[in-house]
Amino acid sequence: MLEGHAASENGRLAWITSGFPVEIPVAMGVGVNYPEQYGAVIGSQKVGPQICGFAEEMGYSQELCSYARSSIGAARYPEKSPLEGLPKPQALLACNNICGTVLRWYDAISEMTGAPVFLFDTPPTQGKQTPHHREYVRQSVMRLIDFLSTTFHTTFSEERLREVGNLSGKGIDLWTRCLKACRNRPSPLNCADRFLAMAPIVSLRGTELAVEFYQALLEEVEGRVAQGLGAIRDEKIRLLWDDIPPWFTIFRFFNGLAARGVVFPADTYTHAWSGSLSGADLVDSVVSVYSNVYLNKGLEAKVDKMCELIKEYSLDGFIMFSVRSCKRYSLGQLVSKELVMERTGVPGVVIEGDMVDSRLFNDAQIQTRIDALLEMFI
Amino acid sequence: MIKIRRDESQLHSIARHESKQPRVARLSYEQATIQSNSQGFRLGVAEKLTLGYIYPHAPVEIIMAHGFVPSLVRARPGVVGAFEASLQTFACSYTRNLFSQRANDQLPPLAALLFPGNTCDSLLNVGDIWRVRFPDDTVFRLTYPAANQGEAGVHFLAEEIRSLSNMLEKAFGLPFSLSEFEEAASLTRQFRESIQFLYASRAILPQVLPYSKLAALIHTFLMSPDQKSVTEVVRAASQAQRSLAKSKSLEPINRIRQQLLKGHLTRLTFAHDTDSPRIAVAGGMIDPGALVALLSAAGISENALVIDLLTFGFKTAFTRPCDMEGDPFESVARSILSSPLEPTQEGLEMRLSFVRDILTNLAIDGLVICEQSFCDPDEFEAPSLEAAASKSGVVVLRLPIDPELSDRERLGVRLQSFLETIKSRNQR
Repeated sequence: MLEGHAASENGRLAWITSGFPVEIPVAMGVGVNYPEQYGAVIGSQKVGPQICGFAEEMGYSQELCSYARSSIGAARYPEKSPLEGLPKPQALLACNNICGTVLRWYDAISEMTGAPVFLFDTPPTQGKQTPHHREYVRQSVMRLIDFLSTTFHTTFSEERLREVGNLSGKGIDLWTRCLKACRNRPSPLNCADRFLAMAPIVSLRGTELAVEFYQALLEEVEGRVAQGLGAIRDEKIRLLWDDIPPWFTIFRFFNGLAARGVVFPADTYTHAWSGSLSGADLVDSVVSVYSNVYLNKGLEAKVDKMCELIKEYSLDGFIMFSVRSCKRYSLGQLVSKELVMERTGVPGVVIEGDMVDSRLFNDAQIQTRIDALLEMFI
Repeated sequence: MIKIRRDESQLHSIARHESKQPRVARLSYEQATIQSNSQGFRLGVAEKLTLGYIYPHAPVEIIMAHGFVPSLVRARPGVVGAFEASLQTFACSYTRNLFSQRANDQLPPLAALLFPGNTCDSLLNVGDIWRVRFPDDTVFRLTYPAANQGEAGVHFLAEEIRSLSNMLEKAFGLPFSLSEFEEAASLTRQFRESIQFLYASRAILPQVLPYSKLAALIHTFLMSPDQKSVTEVVRAASQAQRSLAKSKSLEPINRIRQQLLKGHLTRLTFAHDTDSPRIAVAGGMIDPGALVALLSAAGISENALVIDLLTFGFKTAFTRPCDMEGDPFESVARSILSSPLEPTQEGLEMRLSFVRDILTNLAIDGLVICEQSFCDPDEFEAPSLEAAASKSGVVVLRLPIDPELSDRERLGVRLQSFLETIKSRNQR
């Protein structure tokens, strides 16, 4: 955040989406801040309804994404928002590989701040990525380099991109090893642990700091595995979590289940950051990695991923959090629940709510559904 | 279980390919007739398969070049919800309506259905869900560029369309025909030129053609683009032209048409009735027919509605015709990407600037912004449109709407009040 303020004061700050090829702006010396992560901060501070309400006062529907609403609300009233809002951006970098909302959201921020929006367009894939698809995204990379060069008066160096890409790859590799350690029984990490520990892989990808953080985390995780120390006291039921967590009740929710012996050794969200830039053609690598992120691949890929995690992490069932804010992630869960149950033979449940806006979270209703699932394991 | 079907003549004509083809659903004749009658759906040219498409910026010329009748599948009122087992309530109301139609066996007879990709998350995901829930349906996806990426976007879309063409041939054994493409391109050119003239005419003199008639002409063409539907539009344009020739309005009308095509209007002077309110309607996948129903129920003259900026209206009508020279796929891609305000998603400021142009230069008094329930593009853009209109001195009404018109009475009252506000403002 402090680095973000410094970058903003120097006219070098971009707001950026979580699935954006951040290695490029970082390699070109552009500072980055993540509004999605800031949305998680707003959620966890339990001020989502208030900050989202600021956006609603401006005319944005309550039906829209709460990350977007909270971001717009905080940009309108930074002084009333956690950490006094994000620093003012000079550019807005949106990549639609996570959803189509990000462009509309950044357009709204652009109107408020005057910062130009750059859309890194990665059309959704169906099966194998076609040559014309790759070429189109490749052109997006070139366009991005031009945009950053012009907006921030900077230059692109392939050598520097390779350095940043290597750091990014190291961070992702360490993070992936931490995740895989949860295949052990008991699992050394629970859901909330991973949702907190994922922050650097989202926002510090491509930096030494992220590598150092995940080295330390991996050491701790491996130590716990060696000692047979689980994330929860008495692990009885191992479940998969699907989608973004309810940030405003993250500890209460997962700790409540932990008290009943329920642990979540895997989830689809924190596993979404994978793939590192490598090879002779780095631009081609950017195209591959960022076109093929989890949320850009369709229902079949989501089902495959869930089945794979259930098998590899020896899970007994799954909970799908149907997040009203996130259509790309959540629409399809009613169908994929059936497909995953059919393919894996384990039970699952869909609960509905939101990640930031606690007005859209009915705790009693959700607990009833989860109770029904847990009864199946008794 | 499956509801998309071919009628008997269609089945007969493709019998030779049946062994390779996916199974098709059957819709009872009664249901098909009800649907056909209620939406003016015609079963197309005899012995032709119908390919349904959901997003109006479909490559209709290419679809026709394969011998299909491209037919817009749209949301409609009176559909009982049947989506709950597959879609959450926060899927946009448009997709919920389409899904319910399919689950209720209310879709017209279709050989296949074309979904768009990269236009919005709801339609993208619902396409995937559709494939799972209705596995015997033949479902294709055409992905659009979301960025304004110039020639790279044209090339991408051209290749997507080429890929669709290959899939159509593979699934139905119907190859691309250049002569049918040229015929289709000629039809769409005639349609667009005439409908653009009618739009431009109504922008100056809305009484030249009732909005309901304009909406019906577009509707008929999108449902079944054939010589008959085009002849109706051409005839309506000729009639309008004859009546306007006397009023010396043709010159400004043609200028407006050209400027609307270019996406930039300049200051125009034209005579209009200052006593009657002039409203524009903005929004996305809103059926112009729904607006007609609302105006009618509220007892509001259709002449008040000077121009719509809707996906099924203006945005489709003002697509440039495709060039007959060169690669047909590239030509169609270029044509689709020339549509104003869509299908690319990037460029809010450009879109707002165009809307400001229209409001200012067409002497618009009020802007009605329609917002489809749970539609991200509509709901995100509404505050920006409202601000842009307000800065131009145009009053705004935001109208939350769903295809079922479930709040029809209240919406009608709001429209009445809005018109009265404009009238009293104009009298001051």
